[in-house]
Amino acid sequence: MNTPDFSSQFDEAIDAGLSWLSDHGEVLFDAANAVLSGVYKGVLWCLALPPYYVLALIIALIGWRAIGARFAVIAGLALVFCALIGLWPETVSTLALVLTATLLALVVAIPLGVVAGLAPAFDRVVDPCLDLVQTMPPYIYLLPAIALLGYGPATALLATFIVALPPALRLTSLGIRMTPRHFIELGEASGVTGLQMFFKIRLPFAMPSIMAGVNQSLMMAFGMVVIAGIVGSGGLGESIYGAVRTLDIAKSINAAIAIVILTMILDRLAQSAARSRMGESQ
Amino acid sequence: MSVADFRFSPGEILAPAVDWLNANLHGLFVLISQVVEAVLGVVERALLAPHPYLLIAIVFVAAFFFATKRVAVFAALMLAFCLFSGLWTASMQTIALVSVAVLISVAIAFPLGVLAARIKRVDETFAPILNIMQTVPPWVYLIPAVILFSLGRVPAIIATIVYGIPPMLRLTTLAFKQLPKDLLELGQASGASPRDILFKIELPTAAPTLLVGLNQCILMSLAMVVLAGLVGAGGLGAEVTRGLSRMEMGLGLRAGLAIVAIALLLDRLSRGALQRHAPNKMV
Repeated sequence: MNTPDFSSQFDEAIDAGLSWLSDHGEVLFDAANAVLSGVYKGVLWCLALPPYYVLALIIALIGWRAIGARFAVIAGLALVFCALIGLWPETVSTLALVLTATLLALVVAIPLGVVAGLAPAFDRVVDPCLDLVQTMPPYIYLLPAIALLGYGPATALLATFIVALPPALRLTSLGIRMTPRHFIELGEASGVTGLQMFFKIRLPFAMPSIMAGVNQSLMMAFGMVVIAGIVGSGGLGESIYGAVRTLDIAKSINAAIAIVILTMILDRLAQSAARSRMGESQ
Repeated sequence: MSVADFRFSPGEILAPAVDWLNANLHGLFVLISQVVEAVLGVVERALLAPHPYLLIAIVFVAAFFFATKRVAVFAALMLAFCLFSGLWTASMQTIALVSVAVLISVAIAFPLGVLAARIKRVDETFAPILNIMQTVPPWVYLIPAVILFSLGRVPAIIATIVYGIPPMLRLTTLAFKQLPKDLLELGQASGASPRDILFKIELPTAAPTLLVGLNQCILMSLAMVVLAGLVGAGGLGAEVTRGLSRMEMGLGLRAGLAIVAIALLLDRLSRGALQRHAPNKMV
């Protein structure tokens, strides 16, 4: 086939660019790597500190407060089950990865979402970018992450961060924009300051939407963390990847069960948080 | 009390069952594999047979007639990108996988969705299953498929089909539930047969929502097909995996960009068709 082929030039340019970046930006990427893995290790240390039954009990208690006794018993038993099948360390590190990535994503996404909600000009710039991020298959975010940060949990965190960002940002900006007109006018008429307007009027109305965004971000992050097992993030993703590659049926079934259990528990908890917020504001 | 004392593994209990399935139903799995391989082979050959320029031209003309001029130009640009990045064959393999998977997903999800819209009991049974299916991360779908069909394109396409069903089913149910009552009554009053009501009233009215479902189904299938590159599905997913594992970032990024091009291509094509349909909406 005599079609023009730019691939080799492209590859060389990318390789040169990357080696330039890692030569000149080494300090920056090392710092990013250190921060990301530091936060991850801190969260992991907190979660791994108590023995498995204590953590299961704590999650069960949270479930009991948030949802109900039946969910609490099932969630607690399911977590103990994860420990019994010998996957407790992997389960905890997966949980730590998901929580860290979601937390980092929320810290960035919620302020940006507020800005996007208040300034339509900013929203018009951000919106197409978010469209693009959400159209691409999540798998490919591992590429730039691994190129810049190397193999390990920091890469998984960066890729997960990118995936978890859009839903929270979108729904925050939506919530801020949806403040009922007459409440804003009421605020203006009674002469509140800008800050009061934001914290007392706009934010409470935006809360249900923001919580829905948090829930979605959490679930996106979960899906990505499992995929990120490929780049050595550790956790259940890596056990599944290893088991599938070596066709170890027993191990892959166990890991899949643990992932499904963890997904269900996180999803239910996040959903109930979103729902209780909704009840409060109405 | 230590964990080690009580350790047991449901996987080890299930593994012999899987072995039994593999030993005794081997013929069935081989048959399914061969059918899937044959269909995929035909689609792939059809995509690769014409010269790339010719195929781009065909897509351009088709998009021009079925969608809009802008979509046509955009689609041609995206395909040209796949060609010039030296990944034409892999791109066509990915498109073949996605299109076969989406066709089968729709063929399964559409009738089930219509059924769920008609019969409330069915809808209530489906809802929790669909909820679980949509929360579970995509990776988990690959495991049973790989266990039963080993590595290759067949487990990839089976996992993709299963993964693509929930959005299509959901939106089909929604589309048929949202039908305006007065239109249906108008049909009944004017003595149309149930068949005429389905094809002349229900389908055209439901089309916009159905196309949204199709769009989602396509994008989710693409994500899955790319991921399935890890289990040897070939196509662009395999190129990304190769780039990741050999640290050939140029190749990985090229494949990643080609995936983006295909995602945008499929997204715009299905959305273009949607926009074309929107004005047809009655009421």
